[in-house]
Amino acid sequence: MRLRFTGLAAWWVQRASAVFMLLFIVFALVAFWLYPRHSYLEWRSWASSPCVVMAILAFFAALLLHMWVGLRDVLLDYAKPAGLRRLLLGGVAGSLFGMAVWVVLILARLQT
Amino acid sequence: MKLSISRYNPEHDESPYLQDYEIELVASDHMLLDVLLRLKQQDDTLSFRRSCREGVCGSDAMNINGRNGLACITRTSTLREPVVIRPLPGFPIIRDLFVDMTQFFKQYESITPYLVNDESPPEKERLQSPAERDRLNGAYECILCACCSSQCPSYWWNPDKFVGPAGLIQAYRFIFDSRDRATEQRLDDLGGDPYRLFRCRTIMNCAEVCPKGLEPVRAIEAIRLKIAQLPVHQGGLETHPPKSPK
Amino acid sequence: MARSTRPVFLNLTQIRMPVGALTSIGHRVTGVLLAASVPVGVFLLDRSLQDEQGFADVAGLLAHRAVKVAMVIVVWALAHHLLAGVRHLLSDFDVGSPLRLARRSAWFVNLGGVAVALFAAAALS
Repeated sequence: MRLRFTGLAAWWVQRASAVFMLLFIVFALVAFWLYPRHSYLEWRSWASSPCVVMAILAFFAALLLHMWVGLRDVLLDYAKPAGLRRLLLGGVAGSLFGMAVWVVLILARLQT
Repeated sequence: MKLSISRYNPEHDESPYLQDYEIELVASDHMLLDVLLRLKQQDDTLSFRRSCREGVCGSDAMNINGRNGLACITRTSTLREPVVIRPLPGFPIIRDLFVDMTQFFKQYESITPYLVNDESPPEKERLQSPAERDRLNGAYECILCACCSSQCPSYWWNPDKFVGPAGLIQAYRFIFDSRDRATEQRLDDLGGDPYRLFRCRTIMNCAEVCPKGLEPVRAIEAIRLKIAQLPVHQGGLETHPPKSPK
Repeated sequence: MARSTRPVFLNLTQIRMPVGALTSIGHRVTGVLLAASVPVGVFLLDRSLQDEQGFADVAGLLAHRAVKVAMVIVVWALAHHLLAGVRHLLSDFDVGSPLRLARRSAWFVNLGGVAVALFAAAALS
């Protein structure tokens, strides 16, 4: 039974993360249109409030997972030799993880 | 009518090339196959598969003006000239318009295209209600002509790993057959790896070119929902009036 | 006589691509484009939150003509990818799946993405 879910897990992750990001983007667009932040201080204080930090982290988690499934699909389709494919997938995974760390650092720095 | 037909003889050609033909149409040339058969009188080395001449055997599937179709049901009156005829995309070319269908049929065989039921056989038939039988509509009509799989980009990139729309619509036909008892194994087989079913990106080229008006993409969606244990619509698959190449 | 390698017809410029296929390839291309612009976005986020100077730098950068053009392209990519994605989501759950409806939604996605890009271009200029 577990066997069945390998391809399916990726499909669910892609769909769920997409829906989450869609809602977030709509919300963010409306928020910025109604309350644009023109100065550094306004921008920084908004970004460092706990709710926003949580939301940004959640957004990037969804984004990086979604990117992983999408880019993996592209590589599965076009990178035929298994060794090359594993290498490229590893590269993509590494870059995505790196970006996750970067975002966490950016948000952590705001708390200082 | 002016035609440009892909020619290739492995004995002395490096690669396929287009050869121009011109022929006077007569009243009986309703379908492209009629024209091709008369062309053979001009040039008897021109090779292509054909059999039933009425759109049920699937032998004469070819790429006509960029779009796959069956030559025997493609009307000559609506074809843009010069009519460019090439073999089915992505399939190895044996000669002229003959393509190697081995891989295609291997994929079909891989989905266990027969009813699996080890229960003791009943007196007469294994019964099926009309509603249960209706679930096979839109899938059983597939003639395995390969128009769909050879127009599917996902199948082009991985014909050995992705089953393809034709194989998958046949898989649907058995998964949703109430008399079959191998549903779990079929779903495990298709859902267990990222290639067999999940390469489908719902591009929908399959539905666009099917000469029988079937929609393999819907069959694949239904199987995906079943793997995900989500509700699948009752009743058969929708079909549409097929569009011929123009 | 079996040949070890037979030729294959796969000249994409000579194969008709129906409207849905264009939506789909656009979905993939815009996906890759967006993926490439995420690191840039994270960098801009970083810079703009660093200090006053960083914020001013980013604001200055975004005012450049060339950068605005790039932004319009990214907005188009996002719009197309998003609309095509929603179309996929709906068809996964059997909404708008029949071919005639799918063709119409494909046109809507293709044109919608361009419309959003034009709107963004107007808003940014």
